[in-house]
Amino acid sequence: MENLINKIKERLHLSSEAEAFLYSISNEKELVKGDVVIRPGQVVKKTYFVISGCLRSYCIDTNGKEHTLLFAIKDWWISDYMAIHSEDISTLTIECLTDSKVIEFNAKELDEIHTRFPEFESYQRQNLERHVVNLQMRILNQLQLSAAERYDLFLEKYSDIEKQIRNFHVASFLGITQESLSRIRVERAKK
Amino acid sequence: MKSLQVVKYGEISESLAFNETDKPQVQANDVLIEVKASAINPIDKSIILGNLQSLLPIPLPATSAYDVSGVVVEKGQEVSDFEIGDLVYSRVPQEQMGTLAEYVAVISSAVSKKPGNISFEEAAGIPLAGLTALQSLEYAGIKENDKVLIHAGSGGVGSFAIQYAKAKGAYVFTTTSTGNVKWVKELGADRVIDYKTEDYKDIAKDVDIVFDTLGRHYSLESFELVKEGGKVVSVVGPLDEASAKMFGMNDYKLPAELAKASSEKNAEYKFIFMHPNGSHLNQIKLMIEDEQIKPIIDKVYPFSEGIQAFTHLASGRAKGKIVVKIS
Repeated sequence: MENLINKIKERLHLSSEAEAFLYSISNEKELVKGDVVIRPGQVVKKTYFVISGCLRSYCIDTNGKEHTLLFAIKDWWISDYMAIHSEDISTLTIECLTDSKVIEFNAKELDEIHTRFPEFESYQRQNLERHVVNLQMRILNQLQLSAAERYDLFLEKYSDIEKQIRNFHVASFLGITQESLSRIRVERAKK
Repeated sequence: MKSLQVVKYGEISESLAFNETDKPQVQANDVLIEVKASAINPIDKSIILGNLQSLLPIPLPATSAYDVSGVVVEKGQEVSDFEIGDLVYSRVPQEQMGTLAEYVAVISSAVSKKPGNISFEEAAGIPLAGLTALQSLEYAGIKENDKVLIHAGSGGVGSFAIQYAKAKGAYVFTTTSTGNVKWVKELGADRVIDYKTEDYKDIAKDVDIVFDTLGRHYSLESFELVKEGGKVVSVVGPLDEASAKMFGMNDYKLPAELAKASSEKNAEYKFIFMHPNGSHLNQIKLMIEDEQIKPIIDKVYPFSEGIQAFTHLASGRAKGKIVVKIS
């Protein structure tokens, strides 16, 4: 929890009341590889801040194949925000790829922090903007970059965990086959 | 629910029918699977033809097939390793046979999550053939650099076994006919023997393991090829004595020629009964997700054409699995 508090303190003055409130609504959890925190079809109430490890969100298409939306590593938030926003059931699965430590929040309680402590408004807005920027970049990259270029960006972003993530997950994040991924890796090694 | 059932023994076209049956009840250790795809295997054909009546007395009508992929929609109170909504695959146990239906109840120990990188149709084709290959080669203690002969490399079991043996680092000989040489090679076999133009006995010598998927004279000939102290594992040859005992056949003796050949080479002969096993399927899941093994589908039929799928199976011309898409 200190990690998150310190990160918040970097960007805003956190009153002791707000800090106490954050503590009161948070639940630090140790998860093991393979744990599933959100399943498709369930009502989503929780959102997670990653302290260490790696979580993956993915959807399953009608043929039963998985498509990775996001890997959340240290200091990232992860949940099915579409489900939270529309108060609908989840379409995503969120699972632990490695043993992980997370802070679990009830999304509604976390939302309350804005009314109680208005200084969080701008902090949260910045968070959201970052998130949107990330998603926008991901869409644009998918539309305009080659698979090899997307892989390079992936390596930049996820250098710490690349070795721990299975090829199948990386390929499904990049939207390519594992065979293509292997080819890209071979080409890269030649450079 | 709609089910494709064996209604009598005999010709395929006359013995199968679509019937309305009750949705299966879930026992404490079962999961109920909404079937997305089912795959058929030679054993399903043998059951219909009545060839297994003495070994597997099945009261008719009985819903056909053992291989399944689908979604868990209900679970018994003792089931803790699966949740509603999990995508799974299984080779269901004998007493729960009947995957050519909208739902099947399966004991959870026979179930595994399905590989995430392949479709329901591809996943349905894996369990029976995959478990047969894995359990046979693991019984034989397959390890890196072993020389292995796998008969009938283009069959459902053979094509899986080649990939499994290669993933374990073995050197693989396999037999097939001229038309299949190329694609069997592509599965990774090191030496593909075209049995129409070559004698496999001249080529595969001193092998550590023979995987006999053909039976007949091939079981005995295996001992000409296997090295001293090697292993012959068979899924179609004669029973070995220990397996026969398990079936209560206490006086059973291995055919004399086979016993002699086996003892002369100090090489074990073992008949392998594939058994449903969720944790073995989970091992296969990981290997498929790592692309060490690829599913090979010959054709996918819609449920309404399930009987044609059996006719195709009976033709013996399929390269890879025959799958029936249920929903």
